Amino acid sequence: MERAIVPPVPDAAQAPAPVLEIRDYTLGYNTPAGRFEALKSIDLQVWRGPTLGLVGESGSGKTSLAWAIMRYLPENAVENSGTIELSGENLRAKSVPEILAIRGRRISMVFQDPSTSLNPAIRLGDQIAEVLVQHRGLTLKEARGEGEALLARTGITRPADMMLRYPHEASGGEKQRVVIATAFACNPELIIFDEPTTALDIITARQILELFGRLRDETGVTALYISHDLGLVSRIAQDVAVIHDGVIVERGSCASIFKAPRQPYTKALLAAVPRPDLRIAPPAPDASAGDLLSVEDVSVNYGNAPALLRFLSPPRADAYGARSVSLGVRPGEILGIVGESGSGKSTLAKVLVGLQTFEGRLSFGGRAFTSRRMIDRDYRRAVQIVFQHPDASLNPRQRIGTILSRPLRLYDLVPPADIAARVRALLEEVLLDADFAARYPHQLSGGEKQRVAIARAFAAEPSLVICDEITSSLDVSVQASVARLLIELQRRTGTACIFITHDLNLVRQLAHRIAVMQHGKLVDLFDIADVTSDARDAYTRSLLAAVPIPFDAETDPVTSEAGAGNMP
Amino acid sequence: MSPSYLARRLSAVLLVLLIVTFAVFAITTILPGNAAVMILGEYATEDQLLALEQRLGLDRPWYVQYLSWIANILQGDFGMSLRLSLPVSEVVGDAFWNSASLAVTALVTVTVIAIPIGILAALKRGTIADLGISLLAYVGTAFPEFVTATLLLVFLAGPATGFFPAGGFVAPNESFAGFVSHVVLPAGTLSLILTAHIARQVRSEMLDVLGSDYIRAARLKGLRERTVVRRHALPNSLAPAVAVISLDIGYLLGGIIVVEEIFAWPGLGRLLILALENRDLPVIQAITLLLATVYALSNLISDIVIAALDPRVRYE
Repeated sequence: MERAIVPPVPDAAQAPAPVLEIRDYTLGYNTPAGRFEALKSIDLQVWRGPTLGLVGESGSGKTSLAWAIMRYLPENAVENSGTIELSGENLRAKSVPEILAIRGRRISMVFQDPSTSLNPAIRLGDQIAEVLVQHRGLTLKEARGEGEALLARTGITRPADMMLRYPHEASGGEKQRVVIATAFACNPELIIFDEPTTALDIITARQILELFGRLRDETGVTALYISHDLGLVSRIAQDVAVIHDGVIVERGSCASIFKAPRQPYTKALLAAVPRPDLRIAPPAPDASAGDLLSVEDVSVNYGNAPALLRFLSPPRADAYGARSVSLGVRPGEILGIVGESGSGKSTLAKVLVGLQTFEGRLSFGGRAFTSRRMIDRDYRRAVQIVFQHPDASLNPRQRIGTILSRPLRLYDLVPPADIAARVRALLEEVLLDADFAARYPHQLSGGEKQRVAIARAFAAEPSLVICDEITSSLDVSVQASVARLLIELQRRTGTACIFITHDLNLVRQLAHRIAVMQHGKLVDLFDIADVTSDARDAYTRSLLAAVPIPFDAETDPVTSEAGAGNMP
Repeated sequence: MSPSYLARRLSAVLLVLLIVTFAVFAITTILPGNAAVMILGEYATEDQLLALEQRLGLDRPWYVQYLSWIANILQGDFGMSLRLSLPVSEVVGDAFWNSASLAVTALVTVTVIAIPIGILAALKRGTIADLGISLLAYVGTAFPEFVTATLLLVFLAGPATGFFPAGGFVAPNESFAGFVSHVVLPAGTLSLILTAHIARQVRSEMLDVLGSDYIRAARLKGLRERTVVRRHALPNSLAPAVAVISLDIGYLLGGIIVVEEIFAWPGLGRLLILALENRDLPVIQAITLLLATVYALSNLISDIVIAALDPRVRYE
């Protein structure tokens, strides 16, 4: 049984007044198109002890609220009403020097992406030390000593060494530990965690969450934890506030919100959280048919460079994006590929669609391909790909109708006179109005754009569609509908599908088999039924253990980790 | 900075210079109408041509000519000037130092002025100061040197004011005050365009950096704005500015030819024009090679400075 990251519940007598109290707070931004109301009459208290999780999708106003608390608002922001009080002091009434003395000392922040929130030109140690120099008046030497102690507390094994490194010399997890050490440096009254694990790999994210829990228990700091991930918040917070369109739609204890959500929005959000126990895929196809597409011993070496470049640029070790991967996809199957960033998932996808030179052998439809050059138009039609970012993969200067008609014309799938009708049909298949054909990509939302990208892939009437992290840049609720749409299309057309993702809960919902990649190698491949089997690779088990299984409505959210296995 | 990084950059410079020597040699020697024809003119007799070709060694295969030319250069022997009957190294040497004094003055002026005003414009973004600097930058970039030079001459050296001499040169070791008064107008002409260009680059780099996540993080640590700008923003925005300055040195070397001619500055530019008029091939070759070397070396220096400013390139 793994340890739940939840501190003991404080008794009411210990928490007489909230650390942070926001009353009737309203914030808008002046834009050329008029006033945009980002926060509407927000009431929120954060008490010493229980962590408050603030959950919302992109554009909900959760980040605006964080900036408002930090008094870090852009020039076009307009505060219409309300107060923000830290231990009874109204932050809105503070002068700039007073705010500077509060930031980093009484309220600090942990940011989403440690690779962008640390200064690339300053040693990690000095980035911690400068806070101590600024707020506690230490000399630089004292501050460095103290910084080392702070780093040691975050579980960094050689803190003295880490102090001297630059950000590019540290891993994502190490960098986030530095950011967290900085946030805790002055023993602040409140720490705002703004999606601190979103940019990290699965196992690293889990470690950072555990660190968060441990430091919170040790220091008793009050925490406001902002996230889009309800499943994650259910694991680390005691109280939850759900924000939508600038309004707190529901708040209460974690248990009450997850067991009995009252508001429709909360219910919809909960329903959209991927849960491995609720399968959405059709039954697995017959396995005896043989492979539709298979790779044997496929390797990709990114270290290959022309001799002149090797001479002029730094020597590179062989950098394998993929290493002797052998894998097959069955007709009509949904094969999930999971792994952390850099594990070779996308490299493999690029090989499969002929975008990447490779060594080894690729077999498809009775033909063998031993180099990228052999991949021809027939193959490209039959194997389609949907990319992660529809903004980048849809030409911004073409109308949706043009985008969708390209594969139809290219592969002569439809007589020219019927193209417009086929485009309309394609749009309807992905649940978009037929009049979207006349629009440009920038007029669509992220989810709509991804639907167009999916429609384009299916327009070619492929036998295999590769989905490379297609839901990663989407909000939870949009992600759920895109996943369901994909499954529906897959069911209707019988097209096989490779679903590449780092979201283990999602892939457990929809894949028939799952392949696990690590450092360019395929380390595990199994039927979904065997996911918790003892035969699983150690790495697979540690991945599964690192992912918070969302609450289970039937049981206490805190103890609902059955099936998650144990941390190795 | 690792020695291997330095060694790699240095070998790249040598490779570039090798290509340049080849190009310089090819253009002036292999192309039709060889040096002998150019020197003697189209009415020369066959015998005269043959005699001169032999004297110049032009009757040997081209690769022998090239190798002996390179071998001589490596020993500091650029040959004799065909027009002045002096060793090229002597003729070019004096001119080189005169030009260097002008170029360095211009470059220092540019750096000292452009970086602060670029930073100022970024920090005061959207204000009158920013608008003024941007406007001046556009005007500065739009004016070619000969226009700037003429305007400066009319207003600052003309009979009306006469603040500065209209042309000429005094060596700094003879009279430093004399050098300064003579260098102001040519260096000012050269500086104007580059200042405008670099200030705009610094401004946009600084704005990028100021909008970055790590600057926001620094502000949210409660650091004072001055610390944020000086410690967090400046080092990150200067590295690209240094890269732009080193590219602009190429422009400076071109501009110096025009400016020296206008202000009668006895440098490489004037010498080059003179050598071109007189078809003084050895001098042309030497100057071209020298300018290419200066450009390649200044790029090397900028790479080293950038490596010092940005730890990410240090160990590559």
